[in-house]
Amino acid sequence: MKHCCILILFLISFTSQSQNDPELIQINPLFNNEHLELNKPYFLASVNDSIKIETLKFFISNVQFFQDEKLIDSLSKKQHLIDLEKEKSLQIEMSRSNRLRYNMIKFSVGIDSITNVSGVFGGDLDPTNGMYWTWQSGYVNFKLEGKSEACSARNNFFQYHLGGYQAPYKTISNIELKVSQQNLIVINFKIDAFLNGIDLAKSHSVMSPNDTAVALSKRFQKIITIGDEK
Amino acid sequence: MKNSRSYVILVVLIATAFGFSKYQDLQYPDYFPVPEYNFDNNRLSDEGIELGRNLFYDPILSRDNSVSCASCHSPYNAFAHTDHDLSHGIDDQIGTRNAPALFNLAWQKSFMWDGAINHLDMQALAPISHSGEMDESIQNVVLKLQQKERYLHLFKEAFGDTPISGAHVLKALSQFQLTLISANSKYDKVKHGSDLFNEQENKGYALFKANCNSCHTEPLFSNYSFANNGLIVDTTLNDFGKYAITKQSKDSLLFKVPSLRNLKFSSPYMHDGRFRRLNEVLNHYTSEIINTETLDPQFEQSIALSSNDKADLMAFLQTLNDTDFVFDPKHQFPLNKSKNPKE
Repeated sequence: MKHCCILILFLISFTSQSQNDPELIQINPLFNNEHLELNKPYFLASVNDSIKIETLKFFISNVQFFQDEKLIDSLSKKQHLIDLEKEKSLQIEMSRSNRLRYNMIKFSVGIDSITNVSGVFGGDLDPTNGMYWTWQSGYVNFKLEGKSEACSARNNFFQYHLGGYQAPYKTISNIELKVSQQNLIVINFKIDAFLNGIDLAKSHSVMSPNDTAVALSKRFQKIITIGDEK
Repeated sequence: MKNSRSYVILVVLIATAFGFSKYQDLQYPDYFPVPEYNFDNNRLSDEGIELGRNLFYDPILSRDNSVSCASCHSPYNAFAHTDHDLSHGIDDQIGTRNAPALFNLAWQKSFMWDGAINHLDMQALAPISHSGEMDESIQNVVLKLQQKERYLHLFKEAFGDTPISGAHVLKALSQFQLTLISANSKYDKVKHGSDLFNEQENKGYALFKANCNSCHTEPLFSNYSFANNGLIVDTTLNDFGKYAITKQSKDSLLFKVPSLRNLKFSSPYMHDGRFRRLNEVLNHYTSEIINTETLDPQFEQSIALSSNDKADLMAFLQTLNDTDFVFDPKHQFPLNKSKNPKE
């Protein structure tokens, strides 16, 4: 009985403490400032036409927390596959073992080159997740597929599979965001901004490491922001 | 209390001992270099190797269950495909390259004639997914395997009680392929001191060291690098090798240097299987080199070999044939299926 009380006390103190601790990173894909829904028509101003997103999958890796440029903590799970079809995958759990102070978060969109050359892994990296190229080794860092009348490809289907881990087609993108300490860090991915200015009539299929993949991967720096939960 | 703690320690020790005894190290001669493959991420076990062997010979990996790895990589051809210049896939489709022999894969840095694949674990994804080879997806392979009692059992034996994953399929295939070690040719016996080269073989060995060893480096008989060896482009294929992968002009017409072991079993030769006989290969190197921008500098001066030299070199190359490897029952079709009659 005595043990039981101690356990309960411990649990109470643990939960109350964790209320102040950061618990989740919420990945928040946006389209025209709304939470992006798959297969819903949106208006894309840059092509002056409607657009539907059918697939949005990407890797977030090496999440690290900094206080004034000093590394404070990093998530033990290195790679997270974000898949808009699986709502749960949009939430990344943070470690709750400490009350460290931090004011910056750093992470990468994509998979680093060492992981790319180290053979097969299960879990989020399992090749059955459809994020690994079969004809040439390498992970797909970011996959965006959908339809728009403005797209001249067969069935108006566009597909951007961005990847490549070797120079000169290195596509992993490193992101730094200033954050305030909070229980929930919301990270916006502005997908309309990613597509902004892409000529869907010409550049609708990117599926190998090349110059276009590198150029499009540079857009992540601009489309990823810290946001309020929507 | 003290007693119970020692029991715990005992149990942990036994479990650890069993855990380790399950794994095994790759067996290879001491004059082989250190393998490239990192076994820490995929420890070999009898169960993993056996599962990999079952997968290797099973057409379940293809879309209509008609093509297995062994269809183009037959054990009797040192895991190449005899009499086929280009590989032969699903629906009788013909590919664009010669199916390479498979052995000593733990020492290869990259895979495919153009190096498209960077790790043995990932190699099988290419033929499984290629529309002209097996035309299947790893997702569907996993679904099909999950419906087979035999495979549920084999995966559980190899990887414990977790659902079958793509990673486990690929790791098991690697495990089996890593055991395909060719190290028992006459050359190896001479290395061990249990046999001797005859006079002609010795002359051939000297010619080999002078003319071939810089790329076909012993004891693996390849340095597994990429080179342009002066073959004229086959205009029906227009295959520019590594260039297709890197898109760098310096890589145009570079293909992987293959091992010279087991040539007796693995004809035809070159990335497109253009030469059926070894003397055609030697004639290429002595008198048919095409000089293009990326030609390996070693071929800028042609290799001079008399017909006697060629005969001697041929005699040496014969000593690299490893009959024990080619006929090793451990590498062949698994006949143990009857043990688990439930499919």
